[in-house]
Amino acid sequence: MTTLLNVDNVYKSYGSLPVLKGISLTVEEKETFAIIGPNGAGKTTLFRVMTGEVLSERGRITYADHDVTGMSAHDRVQLGMGRTFQVARVFPEFSVEENIIVAIEARLRSRSESSLPWYRTRPRSSVREEAGALLQDLDLWSKKATEAKFLSHGDKKRLELGIALAGKPQILMLDEPTAGMSPSDRIATTELIIRLRAANAMTVVMTEHDMDVIFGLANRILVMNQGEMIAIGTIDEVRANPIVREVYLGKEMYGADG
Amino acid sequence: MRLINTVLFAACLAVMFTIPLWADQGILFIAGLVLVEMVFALSWNLLFGFTGLASFGHAAFFAIGAYLCGYALRADIGAPFLLLILAAGVAGALAAVLTGIVLLRRTTGIHLAIFTLALAEILRILVGYSTALGREDGLASIPRPSLELGFASFDLASGEAYYWFLCIAASVIVGFLWLICHGPFGRILVSIRQDPERTTFMGINVPAYRLAAFTISGATSGMAGALYAPWAQIVTPESAHWIHSTQPMLASLLGGAQSFWGPVVGTVLFSIINYSTRNLVGLAELVIGVVLLVIVLAAPSGVVGLVHELRRRLTARVSHAGPGAEGKAGSKGKFVQEAA
Ligand SMILES: Nc1ncnc2c1ncn2[C@@H]1O[C@H](COP(=O)(O)OP(=O)(O)OP(=O)(O)O)[C@@H](O)[C@H]1O
Ligand SMILES: [Mg+2]
Repeated sequence: MTTLLNVDNVYKSYGSLPVLKGISLTVEEKETFAIIGPNGAGKTTLFRVMTGEVLSERGRITYADHDVTGMSAHDRVQLGMGRTFQVARVFPEFSVEENIIVAIEARLRSRSESSLPWYRTRPRSSVREEAGALLQDLDLWSKKATEAKFLSHGDKKRLELGIALAGKPQILMLDEPTAGMSPSDRIATTELIIRLRAANAMTVVMTEHDMDVIFGLANRILVMNQGEMIAIGTIDEVRANPIVREVYLGKEMYGADG
Repeated sequence: MRLINTVLFAACLAVMFTIPLWADQGILFIAGLVLVEMVFALSWNLLFGFTGLASFGHAAFFAIGAYLCGYALRADIGAPFLLLILAAGVAGALAAVLTGIVLLRRTTGIHLAIFTLALAEILRILVGYSTALGREDGLASIPRPSLELGFASFDLASGEAYYWFLCIAASVIVGFLWLICHGPFGRILVSIRQDPERTTFMGINVPAYRLAAFTISGATSGMAGALYAPWAQIVTPESAHWIHSTQPMLASLLGGAQSFWGPVVGTVLFSIINYSTRNLVGLAELVIGVVLLVIVLAAPSGVVGLVHELRRRLTARVSHAGPGAEGKAGSKGKFVQEAA
């Protein structure tokens, strides 16, 4: 296995509030790495630092042999990072199909995979076909003409996943992919991610509160609390960790059986 | 629906091109101004309605083009007129790049509005001090050029001839802006307006795209100014005045900033209001004020948005009667051209 993402002793604070206090982790190629922890632990902040939305104050981040510590977010995307947000962000005025088309075109433009002449107003047919295939994969084909602002919460989450996938990422970062979903939607989304992950040979980094989702998806886990690393390892290793048991006392950690 | 649009569009073009045949000189002059202001308003709205950037000092780019063209024509430097228009575009683009590099790095919201406003006012005051540019009186009696096309030459001295030239020049620039707005580049701009972060995480260098939009807008604003100078035959510092900067904003809000044709509709409506109230001092401002108030409160997407909404309701009612009634609002993408 080769290491794809390496986070080394990263610090980040908002004003005088330290939120990340020396986080280190490595993500191997094609594994699924989960970050868990109570609310406010700093999971989203770690995501933002890894994707370049904000820069860390100390530490180093390398991705696929590039030092990306000070690199802008869009350059990291061009290197193969993709992400979703904890609260799904889609383009509300675009139709579902347009959301995907614009994401595919952005990939083609930013990675100069093929030239898109500025005067060609109609998206080329290959883009439409790719968008169609992706929408069918996501089970959004029947809603392709609906403006995204009219979508249900779950559909928005899936559409955002589609926007991220349209970038053909090597590593996909999902911030609480099933947040706010009904139990049945959770199961469906977990299965969807398993399917997409295999089909695209993707590495996945995710945060999640739902332990069933974690156990269903993750190979390794980092447990955070108040900006600190509590434990890191395989599911069994982490579950056996006494400090984790303390932080998660009485939580789903015991209930679910992986 | 497509048929109605085509007919409507053709009718507008027909009216535009035939005005010299049936209207008096006064109306012809106003129609020429409408063409110029229309290009200006579309340039501004490329930033506002499409990219989500509010410039409150856009008249500066217009004035740069107008002064450049007016000065060159008066000095009779012998440069072909088309080249002058292009030069005005380049000057507008350069001014936009310079201000854009400084401003867009730091600020995009209200601060951008204030800074552009301030820069435009500084330019206006500086021009007012410049003897070469005629100080407060500006450049008067600008001659209308003739158009040398190599194979033919057209004298644009008469109002009719220059008006027809304006029609063609404005159509070319508007066509260019239409393609920009509806192509893959324009789609990225609309994405940036809706959610810059999401767009960044599609691998797009958002500041660079904003700067590009700013530059294009500055260029076409400068060209609008260049077209204006020989039409009005006078350019004064007023062309850089903040009141002139508000014209494209008001036109876009009235017509609908979210739609490409909104600023055009708004510009035409404003001139009609101005013209029909021309004999009653102060009434034009009052009517415009009331109209804007009503629009902002009742139809935030402007006249074009209102028309779309009415059409949608009509078609919804029609199809409701038959089987397979249309579903949710706006069930068709508006930003991507449908396959023919
Ligand atoms: N932009 C910000 N400015 C100031 N403080 C912030 C900001 N974003 C987050 N915080 C604070 O940083 C801490 C960590 O927040 P973060 O969103 O990273 O946690 P999280 O682990 O993702 O939590 P959750 O499970 O609720 O999503 C919290 O105390 C939060 O209030
Ligand atoms: Mg979070």
